[in-house]
Amino acid sequence: MDPGLLGQYLLNGLVLGVIYAMVAVGFTLFFGVLDVIKFSHGDVVMAGAFVGLAAYAGLEHLGLHSPLLALALIVTAATAAMALFGAAAARYLVLPLRGAPPLNTLLATLMLGLALREAVRLFYPNGSNPKPFPRLLPVEAIDIGNFTLRYDSAIIVLGGLAAIFALHIFITRSRLGLAIRAVAQDAETARVMGIDFRAVVLATFALGSALAALAGVANGLYYSEVNFSMGLLLGVIGFSCAVVGGLGSVLGAILGGFLFAALQTAGAVWFAVPAYKDVFAFAAVILVMAWKPTGLISETPAERV
Amino acid sequence: MSTDAQLALEDVVVGYDQADVLTGVSMRAARGEITCLLGANGAGKTTLIRAVLGLTPARRGRLLFEGRDITRLPTHEIVRLGIACIPEGRRVFPRMTVEENLRAGAYVERNSAAIARRLTEVMDVFPQLRSRVRQLAGTMSGGEQAMLSIGRGLMGAPRLLIVDEPSLGLSPLYVKENFAVIRRINETGVSVLLVEQNVRQTLAIAHRGYVLAQGRIAAAGDAATLQQAPQVRDAYFGQAH
Repeated sequence: MDPGLLGQYLLNGLVLGVIYAMVAVGFTLFFGVLDVIKFSHGDVVMAGAFVGLAAYAGLEHLGLHSPLLALALIVTAATAAMALFGAAAARYLVLPLRGAPPLNTLLATLMLGLALREAVRLFYPNGSNPKPFPRLLPVEAIDIGNFTLRYDSAIIVLGGLAAIFALHIFITRSRLGLAIRAVAQDAETARVMGIDFRAVVLATFALGSALAALAGVANGLYYSEVNFSMGLLLGVIGFSCAVVGGLGSVLGAILGGFLFAALQTAGAVWFAVPAYKDVFAFAAVILVMAWKPTGLISETPAERV
Repeated sequence: MSTDAQLALEDVVVGYDQADVLTGVSMRAARGEITCLLGANGAGKTTLIRAVLGLTPARRGRLLFEGRDITRLPTHEIVRLGIACIPEGRRVFPRMTVEENLRAGAYVERNSAAIARRLTEVMDVFPQLRSRVRQLAGTMSGGEQAMLSIGRGLMGAPRLLIVDEPSLGLSPLYVKENFAVIRRINETGVSVLLVEQNVRQTLAIAHRGYVLAQGRIAAAGDAATLQQAPQVRDAYFGQAH
């Protein structure tokens, strides 16, 4: 294959991978601390993008047209709103269902996602149609042979990687990160260490949801368009990435994100019909799961006596 | 008993679902002493610890730590008052390093200088841990995990240390070493509540103790008295009458 074209695919794959990884990390964090699958997560990605869009509309209304200011506002509004939403969902929906069978939590969060999706469709102005997302990143590009390096793609990749790296440092180095890992590995012993279990759960849901909002904004910036149902596929993809990587492992979720993006990109290259790329990627995910049922990075503890 | 009580239970009732496991337990752990709680499997020893730590809150009765009512406090607030627990089965965090486990033990301490000082102190007690600070706790042997679990308990600089079944699943050599360590910890001024099945070795280091049988206190007294008490034997081998 032409090296320029190969580079192009690689860059597209990286953009998708970074977005998927940001979604998958949420699934893996929630499963880590509470052993739950929160199926509204994909719709949180979508809602984050719409909050960003609303914030942008507000800014336009005020007559301010600085792209940098708009970008900062969109990111801040989307992450803050979704962090609050995530913490509230944990506090009022997931935690109260802790004693109930896991299926109830799954169903309840599925319904929450549906409610969120339909709320955006009904109440966001003209919400049932795709909305243009502002092009706030530089649209210029450098041509290197056949390879076009779009600045916006590069910024999304670097920004997303920075966010994921920051999260990784936070989880492995900070005091709250230590508490999150302690709760994930042994919640009761964590409480005996003086860790406030409920506070850690709320913080984890806030963190994962903020990252999902960032993924939503990145998705909007990349495709220049958002719609109320975009969370459906993104949610399923994010969940698959987390499972393939090994539920509970942050590193696994990141790995899963990039793996899924690579599969999709390879599918797009090999099949003439672009729609086949998802069929190919999900089929490959099924194979990986048959080969490694606990995911690429297994979190099942190695018990020794 | 008029000794200064670090921990006091007053007619405590604890249960799960419909069944009461502890049916009115009153006891005290005196300041600066090793108080032991003996009893066979199923006597309610672990339930009593869970009640003290707020993991299974008491249904009735009162629990006092240094005179303060802790009956309705959540676990993390009880621990903050100065109680640490070395849980049964060690319960180290398997996918954390030795150092991270120790730091988790000092979670309530925010002063990093104090944490660093305690890290050094714990490594002085258990030199074997020093060379393994980067090792994942889950990859260590049972005996090493036991050391780590004790070290983690000390990291909180507790005034009351609860030790649940330290001899369970350990080789006799480690058991002996563990008991020696518990005595040394007590000599530094930490009150200890030691829960054990191993009667002989426990009474050898404890100042006084209680025998729990069928959710009630069957006998109480200083260690020398308990060594002679028939209730101790009965509690383990069933009543003779």
